[in-house]
Amino acid sequence: MHFVFSDKVVLLFDFWSVHSPTGMVLSVLVVLLLAVLYEGIKVGKAKLLHQALGSLPISISQPISISQQVIAEPDQDSAGSDSPAVGRTRLRWFLYHFGQSLVHVAQVVIGYFVMLAVMSYNTWIFLGVILGSAVGYYLAYPLLSTG
Amino acid sequence: MSHSHGGGDMMMMMPMTFYFGFKNVELLFSGLVINTAGEMAGAFVAVFLLAMFYEGLKIARESLLRKSQVSIRYNSMPVPGPNGTILMETHKTVGQQMLSFPHLLQTVLHIIQVVISYFLMLIFMTYNGYLCIAVAAGAGTGYFLFSWKKAVVVNITEHCH
Repeated sequence: MHFVFSDKVVLLFDFWSVHSPTGMVLSVLVVLLLAVLYEGIKVGKAKLLHQALGSLPISISQPISISQQVIAEPDQDSAGSDSPAVGRTRLRWFLYHFGQSLVHVAQVVIGYFVMLAVMSYNTWIFLGVILGSAVGYYLAYPLLSTG
Repeated sequence: MSHSHGGGDMMMMMPMTFYFGFKNVELLFSGLVINTAGEMAGAFVAVFLLAMFYEGLKIARESLLRKSQVSIRYNSMPVPGPNGTILMETHKTVGQQMLSFPHLLQTVLHIIQVVISYFLMLIFMTYNGYLCIAVAAGAGTGYFLFSWKKAVVVNITEHCH
C-alpha cells in the first residue's frame, strides 16, 4: 500500500465516490474543512472549560480544605445552606459538563474520520488534511491565550 | 506467463466504507471473529468499556502527575536591581526524578495508553458501524464520568476564587 495521485477514491461512505477532477477538488475542500473543524474543537473545549470555571460561584468550592489530596465532589457540600441556589448552580454545572461531553464525542468522531480519510492513501486528500490542520491550528490556537 | 500471488486476492478484504453488519467481522486478533448478533452485542459492550477505560486512564494519569509534582527545586541567583542593589532572583522548577517510582509508573501507564489508543484506532478501522458507535459512545461516557471529578479538582487547585 502506498500513496497514489488519483482522481478516483471512495471516502468513508458508499455514496461519497469521487471520479472526476471537480469531485476531487470538492472532496479535498470538505476534508480540509473537517481538519480545520477538528483543530477548532480542541481549542473550543479548552475555552469552554475556562469559561465555566470562571462563572462557577464559590458556594461549590467552599467546603474544600487547602490540601491537594482532598478531592471534593459537587454533591458533598454543606447540607441545608442556600439549597435552591446551590441546586441551580449544580444543574448548570451538570448541563455544562454534559455539553462538554458531547463536544468530546464530536472531537473523537471527527478525529477518526480524518484518520480514515488519510487511510484512503490518496495524496490529494492527505495534502488537504495537512493543509486543513495547519490552517485550523493557525487560526484557532491564538484564541487560547486571549480571554 | 506464470506468476503466483502469495496470499490470494487482496481486493475488498478490508472494507473501505462504513457498513452495518455482524457476519464475519474480524476484530483485532485472528481468532476473534464475530458471526452472530449475540457476539456483536458482546463485542459492542467490550469496545464500549475499552473506550471508557481509555478516557479514565487519561484522567488518572493527569491527576497522578499533578500529585507527584510536589518535588520543587529552588534556584536562587543574584541579579542586579535598581539603584545598584543586588536582588536574589529565585527560580522554581517542578518536576520528577527519572528513577522515582511516580515517573516509572507514569511510563508504564503511558505504554498502556498508547497500546489502547492504537487498539481503538484499529477497531474504528474495521469500518463496522456498530463498533464505531461503541467507540464514540464509550469515549463520551468515559469523558463524562471521569472528567467530572477532574474539573472540580482543577477548580480548587489552580484558580484563585
